Amino acid sequence: MISRFEHLIEKSFLAAALWSMALTILIFVFMLILGLPLFREGRFFSLLFTPWIPGEEQFGIYPMIMGTAAISVLSLCFGAPLAIGVSVFISVLQPGRLGRWLKKVVVLMTGVPTVVYAFVGIFLLVPLVQSFFTAGSGMNILTASLVLALLIAPTMILIFSGSFENVPISYCNAADALGSSAVQKFVYVILPYSWRGIITGLILGAARAVGDTLVALMLAGNAVAVPGSVFDSARTLTAHIALVTAADFDSIEFRTIFAGGILLYLITLIMVLTVRFLSSLKKEASP
Amino acid sequence: MLPKKFRLLLFVQFIALTLLLTVVNVNAQALDVFKGEKGEIMISGGTAHIPVMKDAARNIMSINPNIRISIAGGGSGVGIKQVGEGLVNIGNTGRTPTNEEVAKYGLKMFKWAIDGVGVIVHKKNPVKSLKKIDLIKIYSGEIVNWKQLGGPNRPINVYTRDEASGTREVFWEKGLGKKTITLKANVVVSNGAMKSAVANDPNGIGYVSVGHMDDSISPVTLDGVNPTIKTVKDGSYKISRGLYSNTKGDPTGLTKKFIDYLFSPEGQKIVVENGFIAVK
Amino acid sequence: MNRLGEISVTFFSWLCALSLVAALGTVFVFLLFKGLGGMNLQTIFGDTNAWDALTLRKAVFNGLFPAIVGTILLVIISVVMALPVGLAAGIYLAEYGTGRAKNIFSLFCDILAGVPSILVGLFGFSLSIFLHKYISQNIYPCLLISAASLSFLVLPYLIRTTQIALEQIPSEDRLTALALGAGRLQNIFYVLIPRALSGIVSGVILSIGRCAEDTAVIMLTGVVAMAGLPQSMLAKYEALPFFIYYISSQYTDMQELQMGYAAAIILVGICAVLFVAAFFIKNRLVERMLFRI
Repeated sequence: MISRFEHLIEKSFLAAALWSMALTILIFVFMLILGLPLFREGRFFSLLFTPWIPGEEQFGIYPMIMGTAAISVLSLCFGAPLAIGVSVFISVLQPGRLGRWLKKVVVLMTGVPTVVYAFVGIFLLVPLVQSFFTAGSGMNILTASLVLALLIAPTMILIFSGSFENVPISYCNAADALGSSAVQKFVYVILPYSWRGIITGLILGAARAVGDTLVALMLAGNAVAVPGSVFDSARTLTAHIALVTAADFDSIEFRTIFAGGILLYLITLIMVLTVRFLSSLKKEASP
Repeated sequence: MLPKKFRLLLFVQFIALTLLLTVVNVNAQALDVFKGEKGEIMISGGTAHIPVMKDAARNIMSINPNIRISIAGGGSGVGIKQVGEGLVNIGNTGRTPTNEEVAKYGLKMFKWAIDGVGVIVHKKNPVKSLKKIDLIKIYSGEIVNWKQLGGPNRPINVYTRDEASGTREVFWEKGLGKKTITLKANVVVSNGAMKSAVANDPNGIGYVSVGHMDDSISPVTLDGVNPTIKTVKDGSYKISRGLYSNTKGDPTGLTKKFIDYLFSPEGQKIVVENGFIAVK
Repeated sequence: MNRLGEISVTFFSWLCALSLVAALGTVFVFLLFKGLGGMNLQTIFGDTNAWDALTLRKAVFNGLFPAIVGTILLVIISVVMALPVGLAAGIYLAEYGTGRAKNIFSLFCDILAGVPSILVGLFGFSLSIFLHKYISQNIYPCLLISAASLSFLVLPYLIRTTQIALEQIPSEDRLTALALGAGRLQNIFYVLIPRALSGIVSGVILSIGRCAEDTAVIMLTGVVAMAGLPQSMLAKYEALPFFIYYISSQYTDMQELQMGYAAAIILVGICAVLFVAAFFIKNRLVERMLFRI
């Protein structure tokens, strides 16, 4: 007894869902198609390991892969402990007014535009790093990682907090009843229970770090050499795509961007699948 | 009869007034062609050209708000590709398009200014003069510390431009003799960016369009020659290049009028005001 | 765990909290300190009279006005493009999806949400080249392409917030209308969506914020350094985040840098207003619904 019109509307709902699914696939397929010449010549895998010297016809993205790895790992090293510390504060030590207020501040931080963080980084942090360390121009892996850590921390904090607060109240009550302090409760009850949430948060933070363009573009110096130290200038895959797309779109040089794009897409895909897998693991009922 | 001096003064004033009216008339004429037109001009490419493009666009758009001129940067390589593919009407380059590029896209080139590419360092850097052989060694990574050049004991931070840059191309060809640029160099994306980078880095060295130089940085004397408009003009400073606007095929309509405007006295005045050398 | 361990954990936690607040505070104070002085009509309208600029009689050349307008237009067009699709897909996932299909759709949604924004921009750029070559010579990277790409970027957020908002409606509310004989579609449009409106609207507002701040996507799909106000959807345009990016490396004098700081303050201001609005709407609407019952 559903009219034709209503049927049409329901079909359009399905169409919308299918379109968003198709879009996800389409983005990947476009990159594959446009990067096809790379596969045909069997160059794709060699691109992952050679340097970028266009003057000598070398279009490898190896230095950029190293740059992405270096900046992402370092920003996680700064950001993850910060995030854990803050989420412990919010959920365990000060769950009252102070914690709620801090949580609001963290939520506010997720709304600050990336470009503004990077902008402040250029004019505040770069001169500091430059004068403090005197090696290099101040635009290097260290500066970029510090700002990137500030960028990914709020996301991680919210996920960590969420998983800490999801521990069954009975567990927490049991710990309190046995006379444990907040820290003991955290270390012995909450932390073991929420390991899944912590790993999820770390992975999503890493995904955000790997996928960010602007912080690295504005702060890491964009040199095409494989970085040797945290004070070296480096270029990430994302910044590389931004820089080269501005330059070209028909040559083999441009097509190597798609190699980088495909790599980034696959990395993101693996991270999303891992997070999904983690959340699907049955929760153990162990003490 | 008026006293002699007074008559002379009157005569001079008369001549000056006539001249002034003629000049004003000519100026008005240069922009007059844009009256009553409608349409869009899209420009991209060399970053050295941008100040001139902006001034010209401002004049034209003020007199006729129906004309839209959009200006993007990207470097000479971008200019050529985009105009060749029909994505913009005018592609600016800071180097002569190669024969392959001209043949592939059917480009028509218009050189409306002469510029040079000079080496720059931070204002506080005591090293203000270099031999070309040292410059090559700095950029190839052989010389890594300012003390090797008589300066302070500080590492040299090399800045270079991205691959699409015509400024880079000219510098590499004429300044470095096509020797390699170290992979460790920091990459900046425009003349303006190069200027701010070196202005903010006491240990930095870079290269920039002579027209862009100002007192935020110090130019470096190369083999005894200072990079100034004068030395570029008389040929004593060797690293020079033309500023080109290129179109795909012969320019027509609004695009042709814009390019003619660049060659007009008023356009050439804008060129000189921005620190370049006029061609007319 | 001994006392020392406990004290160090507590200390570390407080340290982190304080550092975070200090870092955020430094960012804001620095921006305000450097930029507030430059916030005047001249920064926004340049040398043009404000009234002439607002009534579109004269163009603004060295002010932020075209960038502000560009950002606003961009946001409106991309949300208009993304909203129907996001809403429809969210409704499908919440109301019609079966377990297996729901899982798969939801997976794709998560993947799309995780794709780096530069890749979405690359997709938009490739799309525009493709259209330029095969459909019409008049299509270049432009406002329309940027808005479309941004709509791809925020689609997963809209879908997810709609889905969650609808799923959170308690089953009693869900079944009442159906029990009285209403059709499925009638239930959705007359009962469920009004109930879920606060969640949906806050999702829309967050998407607006995302569109306003994104730089990577628009960099590749049509934003330029100077273009004035866009005349049509197929025109190039300016935007605030791109202005901030490009002025940060290419400022030629202190005045331009001041404009950069002012632009940053305006952008943060816009995002902050949107955020607070989302928060209030979420609460106010909930109150209104409750009082209507």
